[in-house]
Amino acid sequence: MKLREYEAKNVLKEAGIPVPAGFLIRSTDELPPYLDALGDDFVLKAQVDVGGRGKAGGILMAGKADGTKVAKELFGRQIKGLPVKEILAEQRLDIQHEYYLSITVDRSSKQPLILFTDEGGVDIEITAKEHPEAIRKAIANPLIRDIPLFKLRELIGTAPKEIGPIINKLYRIFIEKDALLAEINPLVTTPRGIFAADAKLIIDDNALGRQGFKVNRDFTDREREAEKHGFSYVELNGTIGVIGNGAGLTMSTLDLIEFYGGKAANFLDVGGGAESERVMNAVRLVGSVPSVKVIVVNLLGGITKCDEVAKGIIAASIPQKVIVRLAGTHEAEGRAMLLEKGYEMLDTMDLVVKKAVEVAA
Amino acid sequence: MIYGDKKTGVLVQGATGKQGEFHIGLMNSYARQVGGRGVIAGVTPGKGGKEVHGVPVYNTVKEAMRDHDISASVIFVPAAAAADSIMEEANAGIQTIVAITEHIPVHDTMKAVAYAKMEGCTVIGPNCPGLLSPGEVKMGIMPAGLFSRGNVGVISRSGTLTYEVVDELTRAGIGQSTVIGIGGDPVIGQTFVDVLERFKSDQQTKAVVIIGEVGGNLEEEGAKSTDLPLVSYIAGISAPPDKRMGHAGAIVEGGEGDSRAKIARLKKMGVPVASRPSEIPAMVRDLFKGHC
Repeated sequence: MKLREYEAKNVLKEAGIPVPAGFLIRSTDELPPYLDALGDDFVLKAQVDVGGRGKAGGILMAGKADGTKVAKELFGRQIKGLPVKEILAEQRLDIQHEYYLSITVDRSSKQPLILFTDEGGVDIEITAKEHPEAIRKAIANPLIRDIPLFKLRELIGTAPKEIGPIINKLYRIFIEKDALLAEINPLVTTPRGIFAADAKLIIDDNALGRQGFKVNRDFTDREREAEKHGFSYVELNGTIGVIGNGAGLTMSTLDLIEFYGGKAANFLDVGGGAESERVMNAVRLVGSVPSVKVIVVNLLGGITKCDEVAKGIIAASIPQKVIVRLAGTHEAEGRAMLLEKGYEMLDTMDLVVKKAVEVAA
Repeated sequence: MIYGDKKTGVLVQGATGKQGEFHIGLMNSYARQVGGRGVIAGVTPGKGGKEVHGVPVYNTVKEAMRDHDISASVIFVPAAAAADSIMEEANAGIQTIVAITEHIPVHDTMKAVAYAKMEGCTVIGPNCPGLLSPGEVKMGIMPAGLFSRGNVGVISRSGTLTYEVVDELTRAGIGQSTVIGIGGDPVIGQTFVDVLERFKSDQQTKAVVIIGEVGGNLEEEGAKSTDLPLVSYIAGISAPPDKRMGHAGAIVEGGEGDSRAKIARLKKMGVPVASRPSEIPAMVRDLFKGHC
């Protein structure tokens, strides 16, 4: 889960990384008390959960005189379709130089990877393409508490050495907050010292419980329902509902729909050993998506009991057509139950998907 | 076989849990079928002295190791304790650990994998179905009925999708040497590179099927690292960016891991990529015509 900018900056501040003086407001009326502290020039930043909000008009400059007017304007805007409910009002920094610093989980080395460049303020992907030599990298050993000094020296190069302790502090945050990404871009030098001008923290979903973070607040009702049942669920915008067991098989079913010229409405992984009630809940959930015309159920695996699955599909009794591919134990019983109720059951995933694409067309 | 055979003595951690108990039964019925040793000991703290399907249960891994000749293990313990189980086993001298457990925080996995490496131990998974070498050994939860013995290795980030592909191969008369699920998490102990290295030194394996998915670039790194004949299939071409598709590792992040780009890179390296699972057997047969 990605933290909002003000949440990420609070985490940085607590860890001793300087951030610009800032105040979170939830309405225009909340701004005036902060105007003195914000000074003559400040920035208003919409706290919305989308990337590229600057270009989408989510960041506005303001001053003492027009502050409330600009805040009112920003609260009235939609940023990439999302309403602005929170604004971070932040002091403007007198920037001398911008650096980039991030820590990620490196899949190849199976360890944390620290990236630092003297060219901050730009997307790291752009730097990686245009000046890959400008990016300095270090792998951190997860069994050692701090990053060894020699690695910090290699990372920093000719940049101010005061950045060293900031890298170590960000590394502590990365470890202690179970982050998948901890990024400061830009990290800036000013006459008043070094500041994290913008910050991004993504917390591992599997660690939200022990970190005490509330699971994603921006769930739709159906996503919340899926979360309650323990389904992996992603909503897309097609007409064919998909229920599978296992992430890979479900994804592959989605791809096959595209291969045959259809459009999937969702991804739903019911998980292993699906009992009848779980299957019923899954079918009802997908059936409740207004755009869904037909549902493909693709369940495979040694321990999936086909009669249980059949019971669940029948109990869901939704108006849309449900086309089933089932392989596992008690296959004959499951098939007989479905056929008796008039459901279609086909032998391969190619066949069910092809059929569903026909029905949806 | 590359991680174990009939002679491999297996330990199960989390032996008295629902999952552990169920799969000890299945692993040992497979062992009886092929004449292997199978699961010979279990561990659950506080349940020492019990038996599960006739398998003795111990409180600690060290106690089990004292009484039995064990070289591999399968872990079913819950996510909060799983990383600790990996480290306990590595420390006790187990050589190969299969971690089935899902939802282990990535930082725990990074630590456990680094610790195991320090102890000279190999970790497969987490969040994986384990491995099966037909006719030799089953360490994990794969449905044995779909498999047949042969010369094709299979490496996959998925569970059920692997069964789908194995089923297709078996129906087409193409047997498997070892089928291994390396796990759906961003950090896993054995990557494609590691497993391909094992397959390279395995006499039985003549070609390998790589089943990948959206997220990261471990598939390409694997393909680059070997000269074994490969066929690949990548799931997730219809996955939208920044959405996690079930597996913690199945996500396009920072412009990296997009399935289409991955497929293009694999094709550029000369690896044939199937556009759906049912195309894989014919592509494997083409490989054998060309190379073997």
